[in-house]
Amino acid sequence: MSLLDVELEKEYLVQDIESEDEELKKFLFTLGCYKGEPVTVINKLRRNLILSIKDARYSIDLNLAKQIRV
Amino acid sequence: MRLALTGNPNSGKTTMYNALTGQSEKVGNWAGVTVSEKESEIRDIYQLTNEKLIIVDLPGAYSISPYSSEESITRDYVSKKNPDVIINIVDATNLSRSLFFTTQLLELNIPMVIALNKSDLNVKKGNTVDAKLLSKELNCPVVETSSINGEGLKELVEKAINTKEVVNRKTIESDEERFAYVKEIVKKVEKRKTLSNVRNSFDKLDEKLTDPLMGLIIFALIMFGVFYISQAEGPLGLGKLLEGILVGFIEGIQEYLSVALADLNPFLYAVFVDGIIGGVGAVLGFLPLVMVMYFLIALLEDCGYMARATVVLDPIFKKVGLSGKSVIPMIIGTGCSIPAIMSTRTIKSERERKATAMLTSFMPCGAKLPLIALFAGAFFPDSPFVGPLMYFTGIALILLGALLIRWMNGVNTKNSYFIIELPEYKLPSLKFAFKSMLERGKAYIVKAGTIILVCNTVVQIMQSFSWNLSLVEEGMEHTSILAGIAGPFAVILLPIVGFASWQLAAASITGFIAKENVVGTIASVYALSNFIDTEELVLLEGGSTVATVMGLTKAAALAYLMFNLFTPPCFAAIGALNSELNNKKELLGAIGLQCAAGFTVGFLVYQIGTLIATSKLDASFLPGLIVIILIVIIIVSIGMKNRKEVY
Repeated sequence: MSLLDVELEKEYLVQDIESEDEELKKFLFTLGCYKGEPVTVINKLRRNLILSIKDARYSIDLNLAKQIRV
Repeated sequence: MRLALTGNPNSGKTTMYNALTGQSEKVGNWAGVTVSEKESEIRDIYQLTNEKLIIVDLPGAYSISPYSSEESITRDYVSKKNPDVIINIVDATNLSRSLFFTTQLLELNIPMVIALNKSDLNVKKGNTVDAKLLSKELNCPVVETSSINGEGLKELVEKAINTKEVVNRKTIESDEERFAYVKEIVKKVEKRKTLSNVRNSFDKLDEKLTDPLMGLIIFALIMFGVFYISQAEGPLGLGKLLEGILVGFIEGIQEYLSVALADLNPFLYAVFVDGIIGGVGAVLGFLPLVMVMYFLIALLEDCGYMARATVVLDPIFKKVGLSGKSVIPMIIGTGCSIPAIMSTRTIKSERERKATAMLTSFMPCGAKLPLIALFAGAFFPDSPFVGPLMYFTGIALILLGALLIRWMNGVNTKNSYFIIELPEYKLPSLKFAFKSMLERGKAYIVKAGTIILVCNTVVQIMQSFSWNLSLVEEGMEHTSILAGIAGPFAVILLPIVGFASWQLAAASITGFIAKENVVGTIASVYALSNFIDTEELVLLEGGSTVATVMGLTKAAALAYLMFNLFTPPCFAAIGALNSELNNKKELLGAIGLQCAAGFTVGFLVYQIGTLIATSKLDASFLPGLIVIILIVIIIVSIGMKNRKEVY
């Protein structure tokens, strides 16, 4: 499932990033968002998700959230 | 000896730069505010060696591989220019991510020191990092620092200048290996008490602040609050209070000089008292207002709120083909368009980047503030909404302009994504806000004393002499050189203010050199040097005098104001746009768009305003409409041609 469907405040492991955009995948990697790494959704809002990855908070749009599979 | 500061965004790099150099560069709590290299000499107290020490502040980066053009400056600089020492600022509260970049930097085999920054914050959270062990693991000196408190800085500089040893490190091939290596180190050196992925009270706050509706309302309220404090009368009107003090001072000078120079040649008298002191004084009178605004916006940026505002505005910007990151230049643009245009480099998509750069100047900058304040005070003294209205119109124009540009290029936005780090909230540093306010104030005064002074003098001279170089008689001002030059352009203003005013045309023209000049020139050509009278506290009573002398209706005044705000910015800003676009055709297009926008907005405001007020159309409606129709035809035909080429 994608990040859109997860429970809040629960840690999941990233399985895959569904995207052809290599630069996106690379960027996400440098934040610590890649296969096998834990990610937690702190807040799910109408237009965005707030994530916790490696001790930092990020806001991503729902489009991107759909592409991150856990 | 050059020391390069680099590290993740929000790691405290720029705060450290400011602390080490004594500058007060803008501290932005989101990636993208340091966009080009800045360098400066180190402060004397840190000058610990005979060799001159220079600190270079590089943009924040998550890794050495380019993602957006901002990060490639770091990579290029560090890889090619070989600084003497690298100081890697590592956020102690986020080792697990920060060390990724650190290990990449170490492999460059340049002498390096790690500044374990925000150590004080970490301690507060109950987390500890064993700096000695970390240093041993990485084979690199580590100094615990807190750039806000200044702790550890001396030690940092000492270690940096003494690190000459370069150890040949093995290169880690893959990114996965790199993170695995980092994870191991972090496990050894870090002890966490608080887990990061647990919701805290700040997260609840973020829920409200990034909510599409609530967040937008809060943003609007905050912006309104900023304007109110800087511009309004009343108990919270800090700006106005300071203004009163300053203006009293200026008026005192003017009075003194008018007595001391009373015997002077009336022409020179006019140049000095009316032109220079009146014109420049008028501009300087707005200094407190500008400074208060700067102070407040600096506080907002420093505390971490702006990243949240960016999240709120992103969906709106996406709809018009811009990125949420386009908000950053807009916010910076409330200060000055030039750094704003340069900060568009953080936007990844070339198309979005150029569009943003072209549209940024619609956001009223600090130089336009005196103009807004003058007209608001003179014509709408009881309405605190004029100021905010200008900003929201600016935003509206940016959005509409973006739609237009997108249509004209016939490109459908591909599915782009948006991700931004939400830094931890921190208590904004009053010290830095104050310092940056003072620096801005200094820059403003310098500008007033140079460009604006020269312009006002020239304007004064041009309005005092006629073409045969004889002094202009009273009542014959229209024969002056200034009137001769500005006259032909005045016809453009006809549909905007209802009559062809060469004075207003002259003011607009000087506005291209510096927007503050519009105020200065108006004060000059209308001989309004007395309107900065303090007994009536600047424009309150003086306001109606100004209004009467200028002979504008409210609709015309508002229209003229908006015309000046939304036409192309000063030449310096156009220059910055030129270097960002690097394409003459696009530059001309941008300028054309801005001219069209300024004219159209002015036209609409005046005509509709007059229609409402007098229930009939002004005589200038028809010619103005013809121009608008021409503009539309030109834009549509260029657009159609462009779209055909794309498909």
